[in-house]
Amino acid sequence: MITPIKIGYYVSGAGHFALIFWALFGGLFKSEPMPFEVTDVTTISEAEYQALFAPSEAPPDLGADIAMPEAPAPEDSLPDIASPPDTPPALSEPEVAEPAEPDPVPTAPVPPPDPQVTDVAPEMRPPSEDVAVLIPETSVRPQPRPAPRVAPEPVAQPEPDVRIDDRVQEAVTAEPDAEIVQDEQEATSPEESTTEIVTEADSPEQAAPSRSVRPQTRPQRAVAEQEPQPEPRPQPSAEPEPDTAGIPSESAVEAALAEAMGLGAAEPAPAPTSAPMTGAEREALRVAVQSCWNVDVGSAASRVTVTVGVELDRQGRVTGEVRRISAEGGDGRAQDTAFQAARRAVLRCQRDGYDLPVEKYDLWRSLELVFNPEGMRLR
Amino acid sequence: MIRIMSLLLTVFALGLPAAAQDSGPLRIEITEGVIEPVPFAVPDFIGDGSTATQLGRQIADVIAADLTGTGLFRRIPSDAFISQITSFSSPIQYADWKAINAQALVSGAVRVDAAGQVVVQFRIHDVFAGQELGQGLQLVGTQEGWRRIAHKVADQVYSRITGEGGYFDTRVVYVAETGPKDARQKRLAIMDYDGANVKYLTDSASLVLAPRFSPTGDRVLYTSYESGFPRVYLMDVATVGRRALVTREGTMSFAPRFSPDGRTIIYSISQGGNTDLYKMSVDGGAETRLTNTPSIETAPSFSPDGRQIVFESDRSGTSQLYIMPSTGGEARRISSGQGRYGTPVWSPRGDLIAFTKQHQGRFHIGVMRTDGSEERLLTASFLDEGPTWAPNGRVIMFTRETQGEQGRASLYTVDVSGRNLRQVRTETGASDPAWSPLQQ
Repeated sequence: MITPIKIGYYVSGAGHFALIFWALFGGLFKSEPMPFEVTDVTTISEAEYQALFAPSEAPPDLGADIAMPEAPAPEDSLPDIASPPDTPPALSEPEVAEPAEPDPVPTAPVPPPDPQVTDVAPEMRPPSEDVAVLIPETSVRPQPRPAPRVAPEPVAQPEPDVRIDDRVQEAVTAEPDAEIVQDEQEATSPEESTTEIVTEADSPEQAAPSRSVRPQTRPQRAVAEQEPQPEPRPQPSAEPEPDTAGIPSESAVEAALAEAMGLGAAEPAPAPTSAPMTGAEREALRVAVQSCWNVDVGSAASRVTVTVGVELDRQGRVTGEVRRISAEGGDGRAQDTAFQAARRAVLRCQRDGYDLPVEKYDLWRSLELVFNPEGMRLR
Repeated sequence: MIRIMSLLLTVFALGLPAAAQDSGPLRIEITEGVIEPVPFAVPDFIGDGSTATQLGRQIADVIAADLTGTGLFRRIPSDAFISQITSFSSPIQYADWKAINAQALVSGAVRVDAAGQVVVQFRIHDVFAGQELGQGLQLVGTQEGWRRIAHKVADQVYSRITGEGGYFDTRVVYVAETGPKDARQKRLAIMDYDGANVKYLTDSASLVLAPRFSPTGDRVLYTSYESGFPRVYLMDVATVGRRALVTREGTMSFAPRFSPDGRTIIYSISQGGNTDLYKMSVDGGAETRLTNTPSIETAPSFSPDGRQIVFESDRSGTSQLYIMPSTGGEARRISSGQGRYGTPVWSPRGDLIAFTKQHQGRFHIGVMRTDGSEERLLTASFLDEGPTWAPNGRVIMFTRETQGEQGRASLYTVDVSGRNLRQVRTETGASDPAWSPLQQ
């Protein structure tokens, strides 16, 4: 029995056979001959080839075949080629030239005039538009003051060096209406604080600082002013868990991704932890604390790195004790001194509270401050 | 499925840092502080009676002078006080002292008991911590010794705030100089570290040089030309009795110094144009020669543990600093800079060596590590020389002499950091100081 599948096979085989037959004999692969050009050539023998390209060592003897032309016979009468004798040219009497005027007596050479060079600095054109430039690392060295002339007589001894008085006195100005007239006096200069030590043996190379201090940023505290009463610290356990029951699997993944990115997919999530502390905010806190960190660079405590823990309220004030978390370097007494200095720095500079963004309170309510004096040690 | 797994991995990777930031405290590293005096307040100590009140005022002034003299503290004037301390036992109003930025407060009381003894009680307060810094103490002494009591209180304040030992209750032995340079008279003198209570130990009949305290502070070694040649003598400070230690004929002995245990002295002997180091027992006995070279070795100083000696020698052509075992042996050079080095002194802490350096026509007092590294020059002048350490290893006293025929030698102090260069007030010209240990 012939099935439809077999019929298909037969039809397919017949078709393929017809196609192959047509390809072979139907002219599918038949091609026209390529046109070509025929060039006539001649055949020469080896002797002829050598004759063509061999160098000619000696000129062929052609004397027998070439007739030499006859030499021209000398003519009997040669043309008179004698030229008339030269006649001397008539010399005229030389004209007597008038005597030349004597040369003027040379005068002393006049020195060349001084070159008039105007040493004028080219005029600088102001820039047409504001251009951002880099602040130079060092200031221009000031012009030295003109040295005083040396007097023929010795001068009096200069006044002794200014010394800082131990007593600090306030400035007093004369008051015309007051009954008691007080002498005017200047306030003593407070002893300056510094971040580096220049000894008497070291002369400062430049007076101006090489860098300016980055201005302190002032984060917004409007929210804090609106909330004078500190709110209780939110407990982590009180935060509601996002309800993911019944949510399709892909939606749950997207929600978790959004939470990890800080977008707060869950509605009850607190807003304060939405954004991290910026670099400027961290820098402002660091500058605020370090301005009160007094380092005794000559002491053993300057070789101690101490880490303290601090808890802050929403106003940025320290709550509770300043804890010592760790201390590295030095002996126990030096570590105690380093911790005391760190604690004083934290407590002194808080004043009415550190200037921190209240909306990020959850990020800075607990601080770890590392006081590392390595860069300030004496070397 | 694969998509879900990749999303979960992404969530895990992104969630780690966020979770870490949220869970841990904010960590800030502070690497730059300030160098400035600590403001403190010392109200007059409350006195019981007129004498005690007067003493209370004087004691407070001496305490303040001691602390401010270090350059580490700054006294807040009394007219800036918001509250007054009227009773030694009354509670401290820390807010009032915090308002004037007083970081430390010293309160005290003085009374004179029936025996005429001065009784001083004091407390030290950490204002910003709002608590007492350590326990209160009571000191008893004679009325004449009230300055020592004040120095001891200042030592306690200094020690509790800085964590280092004090140096106020100490004395300095030095060479008092009078007269012009070409006819200068020198004699030994002893005084408090701040120049008070001067006492002369010798007359000006003979030249004296280089006095050095014993580790207990009760004896002094020095060099005298009493016999016509320089010779090492030992003097008892209390009785001013003295005896020559090195009496070898035909030699000159000088530059003596005690060992840390006080039993041995080390010194130089010059004989036949050659100078070497020797040591001997304080009680007498045979000398031990420590160096034997054709060069000049002098100015020896023991390390605090007594195992090593630093000294100066010109064996390399110029005067340089060397260290060798205290029993003698091979010496290694530690100074490597340009110039000439001399008069080395080992710090009581053991970490630094102070020295005099001459370079390009100027003199310096400097310090370096015991291996010669980290050399720092602290001063520079026409003539600075002869450093000596405070017992806490924090301050160096030295001689500074001004130029010219009328040049005068004076004593100066400088902090080891190079700050706080101050002149010590002395009645006469002064040179060659040696700092005593803390008095007991």
